[in-house]
Amino acid sequence: MSGYLYEKDLVPQKYRILVSVRHDKLVREIASELEMPVQELRRYLIEHLDMILLENLPARAEAAGTKLSDNGEVATALGKEKYTLFIPILPVAAMDSIFRDVNERVRTGIPVAEAVAYGRAQIREALRR
Amino acid sequence: MKRTVDVNIPLGPIHPCFKEPARLKCEAKGERIVGAEVELGYMKKGIERIMKGRPWQEVMFLAERVCGICSVIHNMVFIEAMEQISSIPVPPRAAYLRVIANELDRMQSHLLANFSYCYTIEHETLGMYLLDLREQVMDELERLTGARVTCAYMIPGGVRCDMPRHNAEILSGSLDRIERDLRRYSGMFADGPMIALRSRGVGILTKEAAQRAHAVGPTARASGITTDGRLIHPTYRQLGFVPLSRTDCDNYARVMVRFDEIIQSISLIRKCLQDLPKGVIRGGGVCKGGETRYSGEAPRGELTYFIKSDEYGRIVDIQIQTPSIMNIEACCHEMIIGADSIADVTATFVSADPCIACTER
Repeated sequence: MSGYLYEKDLVPQKYRILVSVRHDKLVREIASELEMPVQELRRYLIEHLDMILLENLPARAEAAGTKLSDNGEVATALGKEKYTLFIPILPVAAMDSIFRDVNERVRTGIPVAEAVAYGRAQIREALRR
Repeated sequence: MKRTVDVNIPLGPIHPCFKEPARLKCEAKGERIVGAEVELGYMKKGIERIMKGRPWQEVMFLAERVCGICSVIHNMVFIEAMEQISSIPVPPRAAYLRVIANELDRMQSHLLANFSYCYTIEHETLGMYLLDLREQVMDELERLTGARVTCAYMIPGGVRCDMPRHNAEILSGSLDRIERDLRRYSGMFADGPMIALRSRGVGILTKEAAQRAHAVGPTARASGITTDGRLIHPTYRQLGFVPLSRTDCDNYARVMVRFDEIIQSISLIRKCLQDLPKGVIRGGGVCKGGETRYSGEAPRGELTYFIKSDEYGRIVDIQIQTPSIMNIEACCHEMIIGADSIADVTATFVSADPCIACTER
């Protein structure tokens, strides 16, 4: 007997979307920005985003490139809006908390690059949770 | 005692209101929608993979088979991308005839989209009027190109066939009739109290949300974004094209933008007929190797082709970004969220004019 048309495991289809040329380029860019393995990021995206959002990722990334508001150096380097509103891989509350932490470190005199690296490590932790 | 429960409501893959199969998994709290997820893959064509390695002469026919509703713009964008790669000029008469074919295609697509919406909110009478009008537009498209769908009208360096003077006169007469009827039908939609109850303030897509999801076409223009690919197209610039927009951001605005754009398309075609240059319709040219990104304004919004071809004009790599991808995403993750009733979900989904054939290219 044939199975249902729906309630299938969508992982292979989602993977196919992510390995298409434009998607693959974007996923690799994000992975290198967040300094995490591509496979791990792909798995996270497959588990947390639906098919149409995965299809739309390159367009959303383009929108992020042109429509991001200027919230300062730390927010831009951390991808505060990019990774919450445009490419929604992190909840806004989690990103706000990381952003506050990084800002606090910058205020205490830690160089911005070092503080942002700490923030990215926090983002990786949040994605792995 | 009344109790509020959380329920998952699956819509589709087969649903009376959907033209094509897709599955929407709505999460509701009582009747209020709090989340939605889209499942695709019921009609995946793999057309990009089929195109790879084939000569452009085959790919131009495949390109318009991505979508049966807006096949003309797929043909146009692919051919203009190849012309851009190969620096092939288009004779002025052919450029104007392309605009006429493209605007007729836009008219029939918008009429079909508005029919679907009227049918979904159970205003079948108006829906049938619009379908009847669409048939008249399809007849004109057939008179110009020789086919109703998959016309393959545009070829590198021109168009396939000319428009004789008597056909231009017939088209002009038809446009007068279509405009007269359309103004009556759009008035029925604009003033209908029952239509307003189902459409005004339903399926809100704010300007910011539309920008985030990169919504395009009438869906974006109904949210106050004046983006339109025709603004940068040389022939449309000659015709003095100005995009239309509304700021209501709801289902009503999306349908009305389409009605407005049909009237605008009629004006553009009239202007083309009036200024139609004399001369050849095919300038010739050879498709060469290169790489480009080319966008055109499809009825549903920005359609982009990323093409890489070799020295013989064979397609080495191709990706197609269709407008429905962006619009369905904006619809399911922004417009539907917060809908007060399950009945509004289908109406809102259809108001974004989703094309699953385009999405599952």
